[in-house]
Amino acid sequence: MPAAIVKSDLSHPDATLPTPAGGEANGHRGRQLFGLPDSGTLYPVTTHGDDASAPGAPPVVPGNHPPVPNPGRTATTPGKGQPAELPAALTGLRAAVGAARFPLALPSAEPARRDAAGLTAQLDDYLLPRLARLDAPLLVVVGGSTGAGKSTLVNSLVQARVSAAGVLRPTTRSPVLVCNPADSSWFRSGDLLPGLTRTGEPSEDPRTLQLVAAPALRPGLAFLDAPDIDSVVDANRALAGQLLAAADLWLFVTTAARYADAVPWELLRTARARGTVTALVLDRVPTGAADEITAHLGEMLTANGLGTAPLFVLPETVVDGQGMLPEWTVAPLRDWFGQLAADAGARDAVVRQTLDGALAALQPAVAGLAAAADEQVTAAEALDERVRAAYRNAHRTVEQGLRDGRLLRGEVLARWQEYVGTGELFRTLEARIGRLRDRVLAAVSGRPAPAAELRTAIESQLVTLLRGVAAEAAEHAHTGWRAHPAGAALLTPELTRPSAELTERAERLVRDWQRGVLELVRIEGGDKRFVARTAAYAVNATGLAVMIAVFASTAFIPTGLEVATGAGTTVAAQAVLQAVFGDQAVRTLATRARADLLDRVTALLDGEAARYLERLAEVEATTGTPEALREAGARVEGARTRARLTTAAVEGVDP
Amino acid sequence: MSNVVGRMRDALRGEHRIDADTLLTRLNAVRRFLDTTDGYLPDERLVTAHTLVERAGSRLALSRDHTVVALAGSTGSGKSSLFNALARLDLSPVGVRRPTTGVAHACVWGPLAGATKLLDWIGVLPRHRFVRESALDADDESALHGLILLDLPDFDSVQRSHRLEVDRLLGLVDLVVWVVDPQKYADRVVHESYLRQFRRHRDVTVVVLNQVDRLPPAELPRVLADLRRLLDTDGLDGVPLLATAAVDQAAIGELRATLERTVAGRQAALRRLSGDVDTVVAGLTELVAAEPGAGEVDRESRRTLAAALGDVAGVPAVAGATEEAYRHRAAGATGWPVVRGWRRLRPDPLRRLHLTGAAPAEEESESLVAATSVPDPTATQRSAVGLAVRAVAERAGTGLPAPWPAAVTAAARSRQADLPDALDRTVAGTDLGLGRQPVWWRLVGGLQWLVTLTALAGLLWLVAGYALRALGLPPPDNPTVGVVPLPTLLLLGGLLAGVLVAVLVKPVIRWAAGRAGRRARKRLDAAVAGVGEEYVVTPVQEVLSCYAQARTALAEAAARN
Repeated sequence: MPAAIVKSDLSHPDATLPTPAGGEANGHRGRQLFGLPDSGTLYPVTTHGDDASAPGAPPVVPGNHPPVPNPGRTATTPGKGQPAELPAALTGLRAAVGAARFPLALPSAEPARRDAAGLTAQLDDYLLPRLARLDAPLLVVVGGSTGAGKSTLVNSLVQARVSAAGVLRPTTRSPVLVCNPADSSWFRSGDLLPGLTRTGEPSEDPRTLQLVAAPALRPGLAFLDAPDIDSVVDANRALAGQLLAAADLWLFVTTAARYADAVPWELLRTARARGTVTALVLDRVPTGAADEITAHLGEMLTANGLGTAPLFVLPETVVDGQGMLPEWTVAPLRDWFGQLAADAGARDAVVRQTLDGALAALQPAVAGLAAAADEQVTAAEALDERVRAAYRNAHRTVEQGLRDGRLLRGEVLARWQEYVGTGELFRTLEARIGRLRDRVLAAVSGRPAPAAELRTAIESQLVTLLRGVAAEAAEHAHTGWRAHPAGAALLTPELTRPSAELTERAERLVRDWQRGVLELVRIEGGDKRFVARTAAYAVNATGLAVMIAVFASTAFIPTGLEVATGAGTTVAAQAVLQAVFGDQAVRTLATRARADLLDRVTALLDGEAARYLERLAEVEATTGTPEALREAGARVEGARTRARLTTAAVEGVDP
Repeated sequence: MSNVVGRMRDALRGEHRIDADTLLTRLNAVRRFLDTTDGYLPDERLVTAHTLVERAGSRLALSRDHTVVALAGSTGSGKSSLFNALARLDLSPVGVRRPTTGVAHACVWGPLAGATKLLDWIGVLPRHRFVRESALDADDESALHGLILLDLPDFDSVQRSHRLEVDRLLGLVDLVVWVVDPQKYADRVVHESYLRQFRRHRDVTVVVLNQVDRLPPAELPRVLADLRRLLDTDGLDGVPLLATAAVDQAAIGELRATLERTVAGRQAALRRLSGDVDTVVAGLTELVAAEPGAGEVDRESRRTLAAALGDVAGVPAVAGATEEAYRHRAAGATGWPVVRGWRRLRPDPLRRLHLTGAAPAEEESESLVAATSVPDPTATQRSAVGLAVRAVAERAGTGLPAPWPAAVTAAARSRQADLPDALDRTVAGTDLGLGRQPVWWRLVGGLQWLVTLTALAGLLWLVAGYALRALGLPPPDNPTVGVVPLPTLLLLGGLLAGVLVAVLVKPVIRWAAGRAGRRARKRLDAAVAGVGEEYVVTPVQEVLSCYAQARTALAEAAARN
């Protein structure tokens, strides 16, 4: 019965990690199995990377010796030149990432939000505290699938029942940290993983971290029993991810039944990308299956770039009365950790490598966030443009409606004919007496005086036009947004139609404009003698004529059709005006009145468009995010290069 | 364990049997729903329904004497071991290397011939089909006659192709036995991606906790209870939950008994499809959630629409022109003949719009109706039509669930581009009532001629008198009326009567012209409203009726009895 198989050589190709004693490169390549066939209690297996990735591949030591950390290959302390540069850069990045918002529902937004939260958590939980105390105890996070035996393994390693094991899945719901009593003050201080409440009691709350002091564990090394990564309990998965991001060394536990599951492999790839030092435990291997499974898992590890990670194989056994694995199964693993704990230099190397890897992994992560932020800005611009295009069209329709004089037809024209036909224009221009007569007439006939009716007609025509174009523009803007994934998420039902108070506002607009025109006439005609002669009432009628002229300013020379349908009467209006004001003054008046009207229409339509655009305000506030992120990322990367955390960066290729 | 068995019995027997005809009726209702909503609902919402209709048709056409049972589960849960144990033969390779099984294996109890087509449809390769001929066995295998047992690949390993294959096969089988083990029974992928999707298929779902031999016997009830709790959370309360161990034939006796009952019942295929219909109906219900309205566009929106269309079509202008034309023509017909000709010099207001005012001749109705010269609509009038059409759509679509209001709006607009031409044709083709001269015009006209001729006769008489006198001939004695000689009376009276008739007729013409204008307006309004009905309201009502039909069809599909 095979007891345990150890595949040594820790983790990363360029790692300066615990290597077997007397570590000399011996040029072994590929996977070798050194068996002690019959007495065989231990099968050290070594995988080497290729030459490029594993300079000075560690030797394989047949026999009963677990890998021993090599003090000679520890790293130097970070560059003393810029002691505060890296923390300052990280703090800057923390602020930039914390400020980044991804409000638009783009496909990239949800992952970006998650990544940003993960990055913030990693900075708070691990990078900043770890950088502040490089000599703090090494944290080994034991993670893996539910039912893999993580808790049992931790219990067996520290030889105490610190974490509850059981048959119900998932068993562990809140993390348990085991360390030597000497180290407990550091973990209790809450610099590391500040979001988790420290407790001394077992807890079911995922926001707590149970601290257990185990004298059997050597100082300088701590185990964290993490919840599973793949059970139905969502909180577990989130917490496990957070804990893995805070690990100096990740001890990944899988089983013979699970080693090909898709979920853990995703995490392993993440760890690989993040540069975390990883060791694997293949647990619960059935009797006689060790060779085949180990070989297959080795292939899979190599294919995923983890070929150099140490692999420990534990057989399926029956736990003893204490819930511990038999001593002979965990002995290689415990020895390996024991040597790591004993060797401050090797520990330091692991810490530095994971830290450097995590810092190096920040750059692509931040670049991803910046790209997502770019997408937000681009999408916001596209949405903005769709709304503006819709309302530009609306504005153009109104402008054309005014320019080609066609508004004059129909009701306005009828009223104008009535007005001119009664000769009232001349009368009101001539004398105040007209006013009195109008009043009497209106009182007797019960009808409003023609002047008032004419204004009403213009009003209703303009209001209908404005309502029509606003409704159309709202619909176009709505359609444009609905076709855009981010736009569709911003839409609410009331955005399909113009705002409820549009009619009221359009009516106000027209009335204000009419008052403006009258004021304009008053000012324009101020020095004309006739104004002195006539009175404010005459201004009224003149103003009306200007309004008509605005709608018909192309009709200086009426077309045949317009003559036929009666638009020629505008010529009469023009003639009257020109007689009073002079040709140039009329043109000026009409132009200014029209410009005034268009200004007001623009303001009205802008108000309508703002109902859409205000929903983009949140994104517009983030316009500077991509640059800020890239800048902060580059600063961290620069500081990391200068800090030279690992020997690889310092020494280059190991001789 | 007895309570587990009891629950299982409830699940399998408590449900009344599913009638194949009822199922067909429900499937037809789903098909009808799809037909009526075609084009109105987004395709991606209907994919499952389309798949169901197609799949159910195929399954029901194939052997109903066979029951297809699939063993599904995570990698390493012991599906293949269980498969082999049930078959009592080593058919599917078992191993420690994960994932072991990459393609589905099938075992048929009874002759293979009857199941070949079914297996072709399911897509199991011939070399992975095995036969369990009961003739060679003891009688205990005959109870499983008609069973097709499938060993599926895993769905949670790094091999994504396995998962796709499982997803495909799970849609085709009649009963699914979910195989979980003590290590993996709480995995997220098992519950969230699979078990939860089968909550409407409770009567064709069996969950098996395999490898119980690896658990301490004392712990088994706790694990089973925990698994039961998870299943309840998944919405699978009441499904049979069995504990098995493939290493021991005795430990799979319960599963075998369950399968025997299922096979004997010949109900699994129908139950599965019935569950599918339930799932589809549940997914579609929100699309037709609201009560259909009266299915009518209300009168107020119709009136607004007709008015806006009337303005665009130039109805007021045409009606005004009709009034003018009446006056013009009436004056021409009844005016004083002496000055009547002057009228001809002035244009006829209706002809200026290229309208005749008469009904198009019968034989010409098929021919091309010439376009009118009614002035083009203004921007305002167009806006008014847009607003009116929108109002119709909005009223009709109020309260309907999500994609329908948009469909109603689209339908209301569907023929908006044809509206201007249709309106123009309608105006050109409407009888404005000026086709025939009224009788009284002719009477008055005749009277005018009569009095004019009378005056002329008087004139001639007088002229003749003068001529006789000028020639020195004795003039004839003119008869006198009172003191006035008759010829003078005829002349003056005729002239005076002509003017008098013209003056007297004028208010009548004005009144009649007004009436003609109003009549023309009424006819134009009716015609234009008809255009609105045809081009805007009818398409909207079609959508509304489709909605009502779809709702009825879905209600029918939801009825389980």
